[in-house]
Amino acid sequence: MTLKPAFKWALVLATLACTVLLCLGIGEEWINPFDANGQDAVILWELRWPRLLIAFSVGGLLALAGAWFQVLLGNPLAEPYVLGVAGSASVGAVAGLMIYPESASVMSIGAFAGAWLGISIVMAFSHLGSNRMLLAGVVLAAFWSALLALLLALLPKSGLGLAFSWMMGDLSHSDLPIPLLLITWVGALGCGLLLSRSLDALLLGERHAQALGIEVKLQRNRLLLLASAVTAIAVTAAGTIGFVGLVVPHLMRLMFGSLHKAVLPASAIGGGILLMLADSAARTIVAPSELPVGVLTAMLGVPVFLFLLLRRS
Amino acid sequence: MSGLIHASNLLLQRGNRQLLSGLSFSIQSGQITVILGPNGAGKSSLLLALAGLIPADGELLLNRAAIAGYKRSELARQIAWQGELPPTEFGLTVKQRLLLAYGDGDGDRDISVATFAMEIDALLNRPLAELSSGERQRVELAALMLREVPIWLLDEPTAHLDLKHQARCLKMMKNQAAAGRAIVTVLHDLQQAVAVADFVIFIDGKGHAEWGHADQMLTIDRLSTLFDTPLIGQGKLLIPDYGDGI
Repeated sequence: MTLKPAFKWALVLATLACTVLLCLGIGEEWINPFDANGQDAVILWELRWPRLLIAFSVGGLLALAGAWFQVLLGNPLAEPYVLGVAGSASVGAVAGLMIYPESASVMSIGAFAGAWLGISIVMAFSHLGSNRMLLAGVVLAAFWSALLALLLALLPKSGLGLAFSWMMGDLSHSDLPIPLLLITWVGALGCGLLLSRSLDALLLGERHAQALGIEVKLQRNRLLLLASAVTAIAVTAAGTIGFVGLVVPHLMRLMFGSLHKAVLPASAIGGGILLMLADSAARTIVAPSELPVGVLTAMLGVPVFLFLLLRRS
Repeated sequence: MSGLIHASNLLLQRGNRQLLSGLSFSIQSGQITVILGPNGAGKSSLLLALAGLIPADGELLLNRAAIAGYKRSELARQIAWQGELPPTEFGLTVKQRLLLAYGDGDGDRDISVATFAMEIDALLNRPLAELSSGERQRVELAALMLREVPIWLLDEPTAHLDLKHQARCLKMMKNQAAAGRAIVTVLHDLQQAVAVADFVIFIDGKGHAEWGHADQMLTIDRLSTLFDTPLIGQGKLLIPDYGDGI
């Protein structure tokens, strides 16, 4: 694209503003965000607005983690769950529900612990290089999926509803405090920008990055830790929401080029926009019921992914 | 400046295989050292060891201090390495790739001398993935030219290049050496080696390696033995004996 960077940023920010207004207004009933009184104002600012903030921060975190994993694994089609983190988090969440079948907080704690357990195991393979780490992640994902099936079979019926809605991606049960999510979004983007020179150099491959003076092992470990922590928080807040982390960084590279001081902020915002749109659609399409947002992002994401694959070949 | 890199009794291994041992040499500024040897002998590995990218046993000094003791950022201020072509998956443009040689892909720097020398001015906004291997090699050489460091390590710089750009590449190396740069390069073409070498390192693929002055090393007998192939001399040319009476 030949548009000037300033114009592209203006476009992104304008899209963000329009998305926020649209998603505030849309729902079982349309509410004009500029003219909401009484009960409408309560719905707008106490229900839709917090939900929008969760969607924005989780979407942004997933897109950031996706951009990092893509560079770490040298593959622009990698995504945050590629190393099996979603699987281990799901096992943790269901294990939590086995102890307290109806407690969303215990489920969240379990998910976070599970995500970290999975990450720690994969990190033990990181010194073997990205391909073997990826292989370890894929094999572990199969293991977690088998373990998950076993736990679900043993789970009391009262916990099944919560387990399934979380596993399919659901923002309505998120009980991480919103300020924590927003602080994580800002912190993750800040850390990412500090590492952006290393990320750029890694685009040339590890050898070239080393020859350019980057301490590749150290920076890779930092990135892996950062990407994993961010994924663990996102997955704890919202369950498994696929394809945001895959598609958004890719689209932003098409728009802004490959350098991370542009790709990272653009992805953090773009991921937020995509998940706000998807979540608003998920709570509107069959209102007053809700679709799991993870199902929607997958249905949207799979065709986009296949299109990108075809385009790459 | 003298003795930028000094190696003594160097031993290099890859996995369980010993590539070379007992190699001693010195790399001076303003000189071109050519590494020659058969496939798989360890030429690229020796370059990687000199760049501090893989470990080596024995004594390997840069400015009288062990290379292994340098921080990566300090090494990068002394040594530039041109090796494999970088991956193209992430859509880097030629210009962005060149600017990454400085450590930032978005700076406002003058890269015109290097892009003019390698004739890639017209390619600057193209993604690397759209270029041929020869064009990508020229981009890598231009990226190397942007590195203002005393030592350049080049791994088959003329690979993929057409005749015109092979000649340009060799001239560029000679000019850079004349300007005081120390250059170590792996080459496969004997004529190119004869044209640029001040010193030569032979690696025979059987664990032996030797360093010496180009005049003493680049003889028909020694090269025939090194490559296990009969050679014929025609004036300054060294040609393999293809057995058809050329």
